[in-house]
Amino acid sequence: MVERKRIEIPEGAKVKESVGEEAEFPFDISPMYEGERIRKGDMYVELGGPSQPGFELVMALPVDQVEDMKVTLIGPDLDEMEEGSTHPYAMVYYIAGEMVETDLEPVIERRNHDFQNYLEGYMHLNQRYDIWIRIGKNAIKKGLNSLIQIAKATMMLYKNELPFIEKIEAVYVTDKDLVDKLLNEVAMPIYEERDARVEALSDEDVDEFYSCTLCQSFAPTNVCVVSPDRPSLCGAITWFDGRAAAKVDPEGPNRAIPKGELLDPIGGEYSGVNDFAKQESGGEYERIKLHSFFEYPHTSCGCFEVIGFYMPEVDGIGWVHRGYAEPAPNGLTFSTMAGQTGGGKQVVGFLGVGIAYFRSKKFIQADGGWYRVVWMPKELKERIAKYIPDDIRDKIATEDDAKTLDELREFLKKVDHPVVKGVVRPVDGQKITNGWVEEEEEEVEEVAEAPAEAAAQPAVAQPAAMQPMQMPAMPGFQLPALQMPAPSAAPAGVKLIIKDAKITIDKVIIKKAEKEKKGGK
Amino acid sequence: MTVIAVAGKGGTGKTLVSALLVNFISENTTSVLAVDADPDSNLPEALGVADEVRKTLGEIRELFQVSRDEMGTMNKEQWLEGKIYAEAICECPRYDLLVMGRPEGEGCYCFANSLLRGVLKRLMRHYEYIVIDTEAGLEHFSRKTIDSADYIIIVTDMSRKGLATARRIKELAKELKLNFREIYLVANRITSKEAENTIREFAYEEGIEILAVLPYDESVAEVDLRGEPVTAIDKDSEVYKKMKEVSNFILRLPVEAR
Repeated sequence: MVERKRIEIPEGAKVKESVGEEAEFPFDISPMYEGERIRKGDMYVELGGPSQPGFELVMALPVDQVEDMKVTLIGPDLDEMEEGSTHPYAMVYYIAGEMVETDLEPVIERRNHDFQNYLEGYMHLNQRYDIWIRIGKNAIKKGLNSLIQIAKATMMLYKNELPFIEKIEAVYVTDKDLVDKLLNEVAMPIYEERDARVEALSDEDVDEFYSCTLCQSFAPTNVCVVSPDRPSLCGAITWFDGRAAAKVDPEGPNRAIPKGELLDPIGGEYSGVNDFAKQESGGEYERIKLHSFFEYPHTSCGCFEVIGFYMPEVDGIGWVHRGYAEPAPNGLTFSTMAGQTGGGKQVVGFLGVGIAYFRSKKFIQADGGWYRVVWMPKELKERIAKYIPDDIRDKIATEDDAKTLDELREFLKKVDHPVVKGVVRPVDGQKITNGWVEEEEEEVEEVAEAPAEAAAQPAVAQPAAMQPMQMPAMPGFQLPALQMPAPSAAPAGVKLIIKDAKITIDKVIIKKAEKEKKGGK
Repeated sequence: MTVIAVAGKGGTGKTLVSALLVNFISENTTSVLAVDADPDSNLPEALGVADEVRKTLGEIRELFQVSRDEMGTMNKEQWLEGKIYAEAICECPRYDLLVMGRPEGEGCYCFANSLLRGVLKRLMRHYEYIVIDTEAGLEHFSRKTIDSADYIIIVTDMSRKGLATARRIKELAKELKLNFREIYLVANRITSKEAENTIREFAYEEGIEILAVLPYDESVAEVDLRGEPVTAIDKDSEVYKKMKEVSNFILRLPVEAR
């Protein structure tokens, strides 16, 4: 972890200090001023922004290292700045308290934006190293003449609104060299460290997930559950966004879901999520597993960026994104599949996800994760290539490798994809599929001799006809009512092979297709 | 904050009316926001500030859609707000201008729009006057990116279609619960007394007050056609004088703090 320590004030620097609460301020403080935009013509000075460096940073320090309500300003103050000028600007806060911890730094830092916008005549935009402040001429006219007043007002708001902050101290810097130096040497490493921590954050690390019901007008039974390992289906909302929104409006579209008891660590099933799903879907769904494709998968709204589809013929999962208009190897386009799955349904065999879910460490981990993925469009694959494990990346086909199931089978066999011999899921090392059964196995039944030209082709079954039989033994699997595409130019005869038939079939009726009839039904 | 939405069938001159309103109102106060909410119109050109427009709100929303995965723990609402304030709001000498731009593309915009609504709401309440040039479908109102209008000015020419559209806008405004206080009519390019009478009759039947009947003016049409700013129109023309009266009327309307 990057060490948190007080900023060293360079020797000979111009320093102004002030300790203690301010009795009154020459400006109003109210949420009413949020959103106030100070136009260039009305601006006295600009701090940070497009032309000058700037940043804001909150650091948690031990309680004995923070001097409460102290402000140190390094560099020129407001009354030394020329009207219409721009200046570098750094706002650093040290905070301390029994409940203050490093993890809270970013949350507290975000509030600087809110609090400073409560100040009349002071506009604060953006965050971190992008901050952009304008102070209006009116504020100066009313008596604002020092940044120390700004810092004191902000600190007062911090202590009022976040009472767990026991001590707060501010260091504001307008000296260019020092702003640059602090940005590069102190702030950036901390921002980077925070981002790295976010990437590493897991479902296990938090107590609450967040719901999203923004799109319930389109999908009334949809319950988006946003967890650190599972962003929203539309790709827009991460766990952090959910947390931020729930803080602002706890009864709004993003509400906290207490995780409850962990029921299935691999599938990602939590009692709290189940309760919430039951309640929000109007009793339609009772269970949701966050990282499962086949068992109680997450509902799919209609907003999802990518749809996953199971292909029993290869016992693998394909993914297709909204921007890919061609049919996937299963013969269906994104929009056809989305139409069947969307609307807040829990459809086993199809799953809507956001592109960011491909980054998840728990990406469909119950069903083998990446090792169960057999196909995705090139555009999508390139976009997320760095998140695909090295040993499987080249084994996932794109439209360049396979456009049909036949081609896909050939490709997967050629590259020896795990689905061919059986997938071992990395999460617990369990073998979850048996793989394809080899061709030399006994043919159980053969009906209708294929004519010469058909026989020359590899004995690959037609997708529609073979589906029920090649279904792997997977309890609870149901195919949604999908119109399967009619096979093009049905061959005159059909070679039917049933392999390793462990599943119970009530009745099999095999008829030779009559010439005038279309196949596939 | 007083929000004035100017709507009407395409080609009736509502952009001319909007631009003149912005022009006159901003002579009284600089706390004016002009909003171009019609992808087919050209309010920036009519105001003569097209060169100053950097990005439309739509473009920023698209940028948000493609950048959002890389934002980490950054607050997305603040990101959007920063972009809008810095790049979409164009600071003209007497007023600010916001161009809404293209409607959204493919994919889900629920979250982006929900954030936008919040940003715009907080932004707009700080202006004394907001003039919105909007298409007849009132799309930004139905999507609630802009949540209300105090006064709706419908611009019509003397065509049947113009009047039919005016009626539809009135119905739509009611359906959308815009909480408007009044709907007004401005008739534009009226060449005959007969046409004026038809429009007055229509307004009476619909219970809409007519703010102005503007004649057809060749010189105004030419300015419009050449894409020159409305400030270029003849200051002695009927159109100019009557629109100035309309603006004064608007400025006298009661303001209610929200």
